[in-house]
Amino acid sequence: MHVRFWGVRGSVASPGRDTVVYGGNTACLELRLNGSDRVIIIDAGSGIRSLGAHLIRTRSAPIEAEIFLTHTHWDHIMGFPFFDPIYRPNTRLKVYGPITYEEDTLDRIVGDQLSYRYFPVRHSELSAAISYHQLREEEMRFGDGLRIKTKYLNHSLLCLGYRFEYDGKVLCTGYDTEPFQNVFSDDPASPGYDPVVCEEGARAVADANKALLDFFRDADILIHDAQYTLREYSAGKSGWGHSPMEHAIQTAIAAGVRKVVLFHHDPDRRDAELQALESKFRAAQPSGAPEILVAREGMQLSA
Amino acid sequence: MGYQKTMTPEERLAIIQRYIAKMPPLPATVTKVMAICNDPNATPADLNKIISLDPVLMGKVLRLINSAYYGLVQEITSLVRAIIMLGINTVKNLVLSTAVLSTLGNRRNFQALNMDDFWRHSLSVGVASKLIARKRGAPRNRLEEYFIAGLLHDLGKIPLNNRFSQDYQEVIHRSRSDALPLHVAEKASFGIDHADVGRLITDNWQLGADISDTLFFHHTLEGVAGDNREIIHSVALANYYVNVKGLGFSGNCCPQPVRAENFSGLDITLDYLESVEQEVKSEIERALVFLRVAG
Repeated sequence: MHVRFWGVRGSVASPGRDTVVYGGNTACLELRLNGSDRVIIIDAGSGIRSLGAHLIRTRSAPIEAEIFLTHTHWDHIMGFPFFDPIYRPNTRLKVYGPITYEEDTLDRIVGDQLSYRYFPVRHSELSAAISYHQLREEEMRFGDGLRIKTKYLNHSLLCLGYRFEYDGKVLCTGYDTEPFQNVFSDDPASPGYDPVVCEEGARAVADANKALLDFFRDADILIHDAQYTLREYSAGKSGWGHSPMEHAIQTAIAAGVRKVVLFHHDPDRRDAELQALESKFRAAQPSGAPEILVAREGMQLSA
Repeated sequence: MGYQKTMTPEERLAIIQRYIAKMPPLPATVTKVMAICNDPNATPADLNKIISLDPVLMGKVLRLINSAYYGLVQEITSLVRAIIMLGINTVKNLVLSTAVLSTLGNRRNFQALNMDDFWRHSLSVGVASKLIARKRGAPRNRLEEYFIAGLLHDLGKIPLNNRFSQDYQEVIHRSRSDALPLHVAEKASFGIDHADVGRLITDNWQLGADISDTLFFHHTLEGVAGDNREIIHSVALANYYVNVKGLGFSGNCCPQPVRAENFSGLDITLDYLESVEQEVKSEIERALVFLRVAG
């Protein structure tokens, strides 16, 4: 399995002189399988625009691709109208992703970006054949021996982590997420305090965090949310749905992961900071621990 | 209940009152659930506490969470767990919809009327009432009241339909053949109509005056004044629109046209209602998953 990073930023695209090294585009990954021509794309953030151009430039055959959305927050779908293959008549796309009950269907959530109020072309005018498929927490066989498992993460909107298994190798995504936390107070002085509820909450948190570790277990590559530092997270970002980098690394260690990629960088995170953090974390890793990488646009990894 | 055309209006009233006294008391929970779910400052503990007071509601919510809709690998066995794993916003929405829609979704209550059609009609009026309120700039915290008032406006038909099912079929038939609005046909046959019965229920449940007045006055708008005038007129308009569009069916083959002054008073045009038809329809489709669970 080979993964290429076309967008590594979270929240909003952030071009500028402070992001030229790691890149300013939002989430988009390209996954390729050994011995297969399939194009698998994870998320359609602004990075998908360059991926589209690359596909058109390098492929002579019509483009067929599967896009797996982790969730439908804007930074993960905003690039879709700029994905050039959707304007080519021979393109065939399958778009997979989760939806929350209260929302519209997936084709509306993603496709409505292509309506006149936002964009000069309407979804119904696209030349490509595009189909949409809702995903839940499930385990699927996707042909050629590819297996995909999904799991709900801890984010403000239902968000899926993916586990791709192919040819004995495993790649997992763990974004957008933060550690599950007991939202029921353990302070007897708080107004809604209930010891039974608090205990049940603590058990639920332990189970949920363990289930997530099992989901990432023994992955060759884990691409994990790392929007904040632990200091930032502790100073008011807890509950925002993103992880501190230290948590991503601890998760990788606990799950026996080989390589952990810190991903979904905060739009304000400058290159110099990321370089310093990368050096710091790597220096602190004992031997035998997972290799730590900071995601950057254009980076390619193989499992 | 058999064929009892010979009963006096007093006898019928007594039967209806006995039925209403036995209707399950849901509203206290529903109104509190709505208040909590619409309060952005409500804590997970508040939500859990209010749901825990109603084991039936709790059961339905958990059933929905564990349904194929989410496909969860691990079964979620408590609301606390659901809040931690799915997040408070998801759970709030589930609870709100389940609480409101499971209110009357018992098939035993439906005989002459088709339950699915009745609910589709009621939901459509609820959704359309809320859209009218939104268009008119009603405060956000009052929008759910418009929805509930619209949803429940025909509540009075349930006891009539249940206790006098055979007669009620005739009443519906008569409404069609004589081109009478249903409530007029009800009054002619029973001496009491669904507006009267609706008020008896809301009195028993101690629902607010806005909902109670809507149930009582939604076919007799003349002379309605005071604080609840807007909500009553909005529901009446929504009801007319939904009947004309044939969204669901609640037995009324001959809806009374709403007079022009109601439109001008509300500052809403039929064009506006036409423009939200798609929105009403898609809201209903979304609610269907809950109808299935509630049944």
